[in-house]
Amino acid sequence: MPDALLDVNGLTIEYLTDAADVRAVEDVSFSVAPGEFLGIVGESGCGKSTMLFGIAQLLSPPGEVVAGQVIFRGKDMVRLSDGELRHMRWRDYSVVMQSAMNALNPMKSIGAQFKDALQAHERMSKAQVTERSAEVLELVGIDKAHLGSYPHQLSGGMRQRAMIAMALLFTPQLVMMDEPTSALDVVAQRSLMMKIRELQTQLGFAVIFVTHDMHVVRRYSDRMLVMYAGEIAEAAPTDQIFEHPQHPYSKGLIDAFPAVTGPRRTLVGIPGSPPDLAQPSNGCRFQPRCPVALDICADHKPELYDVDGAQVRCLLYTEAGELAEASQSGVASDD
Amino acid sequence: MTDQPEPTSAAGAEPQPLLQATALTKHFRLGGMFAKQTLHAVDNVDLEIREREIVALVGESGSGKSTIARLLARIYTPTSGDIYYRGRPLSRLRSRKDMNWYRGEVPMVFQDPFSAFNPVHRISHGLMRNLALHRHDLHGAERRREAERVSESVGLSTRLLSRFPHEMSGGERQRVGFAQALAMRPKLILADEPVSMLDVSIRAGILNLMVELRDREDVSLLYITHDLASARYVADRVVVMYAGQIAESGPTETVLSDPKHPYTRLLLSAVVDPRDADPEFAADTGEPPRVINPGEGCRFRWRCPFAVEICDTVTPLPRTIGTSEVACHLAGEPAMQVADEA
Repeated sequence: MPDALLDVNGLTIEYLTDAADVRAVEDVSFSVAPGEFLGIVGESGCGKSTMLFGIAQLLSPPGEVVAGQVIFRGKDMVRLSDGELRHMRWRDYSVVMQSAMNALNPMKSIGAQFKDALQAHERMSKAQVTERSAEVLELVGIDKAHLGSYPHQLSGGMRQRAMIAMALLFTPQLVMMDEPTSALDVVAQRSLMMKIRELQTQLGFAVIFVTHDMHVVRRYSDRMLVMYAGEIAEAAPTDQIFEHPQHPYSKGLIDAFPAVTGPRRTLVGIPGSPPDLAQPSNGCRFQPRCPVALDICADHKPELYDVDGAQVRCLLYTEAGELAEASQSGVASDD
Repeated sequence: MTDQPEPTSAAGAEPQPLLQATALTKHFRLGGMFAKQTLHAVDNVDLEIREREIVALVGESGSGKSTIARLLARIYTPTSGDIYYRGRPLSRLRSRKDMNWYRGEVPMVFQDPFSAFNPVHRISHGLMRNLALHRHDLHGAERRREAERVSESVGLSTRLLSRFPHEMSGGERQRVGFAQALAMRPKLILADEPVSMLDVSIRAGILNLMVELRDREDVSLLYITHDLASARYVADRVVVMYAGQIAESGPTETVLSDPKHPYTRLLLSAVVDPRDADPEFAADTGEPPRVINPGEGCRFRWRCPFAVEICDTVTPLPRTIGTSEVACHLAGEPAMQVADEA
């Protein structure tokens, strides 16, 4: 895609430990268009946060990008030096972390932290700094009086808003968010998501949004990736995944949630737990938990296949799957 | 309702609730000598849990829902108000033996299955210990068999009994929590956010387990959660809390399909599709409730789009509207219906 803002190609990340090298992210490729809202969902340990850190070049040892490229505005970020990256952070892309309480410095006021970020990139007068800081704070719906507040004086929702304000100091083209709403109550969460969407429309930045919350992704993202055990299981426009999930894991995730409206139905969840990434299987990683697995799934590794506009990593959509389906319907018609 | 001196199980009346709290209140003192403040964690709460009933206690952080669980579990003692278990006031349970009995009848399952178990003991240890302390009717071999029975009834394979907590997944550990509770032959399990730390794919299993325990083992559950959808999935009755007080309670479907308190409406509008959300609440940013020296008046009035003068001065008491109890001056009034029809 020539017009993509971000192009991730074959990104592979390992945690190098004494016991084993654990491949937390394997051969992930996707791109993000300018102004797009991409949701990345998966459960704990699926590699979603590691991948986000790998893209933002924030991995610290023993985590390491061992293969692949992250092309952002024509440059491969994996190969950039610390100095070049420092120049791009906040200005061209920014990252909003899960816990604002840990990401903000407890010893400094919000205003002082904004000032640090601003002055790291531009020579600005005190008046300009105050003006821009007040501007972004009001953008996210916080009174500028809170520039003098310390993180502990703000509620959880306000701290996350302040983090987002900080991420917008230079109006970057890409904002990456790692579960920014998961520590919040539902009302604060809804309010923050609506704010992010509104600002995105207004300012035109793209968002990569990592979460385990299917509800949030469904309502706010344009396109989504479902990750399982370090790989992309399914990638498609969000509405399509929710209306016609193709991968059995996507199906299982969607069916795992009760609803507040509509008929009550019994949920099944997905029995079992994710595989140990230190000893990956030769076959499909979801096979042990898959309700519709075929015999070949245990020792054939599925690729990502194009299925009706979605990319799906599942052997059901190959010849083997068609054969199995044909033989099954054959059996059914014999009865 | 609150001035009823002691619940009685007179003939012809409703069956005695398993557990009943009247005017339950818990305050915490904050600050030093000169700046005394009082945090009203729970204020004047009436709550009933009947036999074989799942009651969901729903609220956001700071609503007092976990404080209620701890009051009912006797981890905290109430500032005022009473709790009756099968008609017996808990304040009279003083001896170690009585407390032990109560904790066996009303055990608690905790939110974090990663820190609730002693890491140096095998899973069987906690189960066997509960059996030794609470089930004097059983001998050695019988205890072992009972440990296996309760594990199986929560869906845990008995070979997991010899594992250590770190060798198990979060979902398995939460099942161990329920097995430990079940080993004591409980009547009521206090479950404080038992699924909120689990992965989404395994939450359904624990929710189903709670329903099974009610249907198969005749246990009642108090399910504490911030998630209305899971409350709807398991609970017979829902109690919605705001700032230490009950805002609304009633049968699950009634409360969720026809919410009468503005706070219940706000909560629901935050979890449905934004296109279907109540427009009255679109601007609410979810600021936490004020529970330090709250004073008189409705505690939700700061956020309520319908608030009128009386809300500033008079704390609303629960009123019966249909099958629900609603603590709102305006609930059921035409002023609140307008938005519905618009």
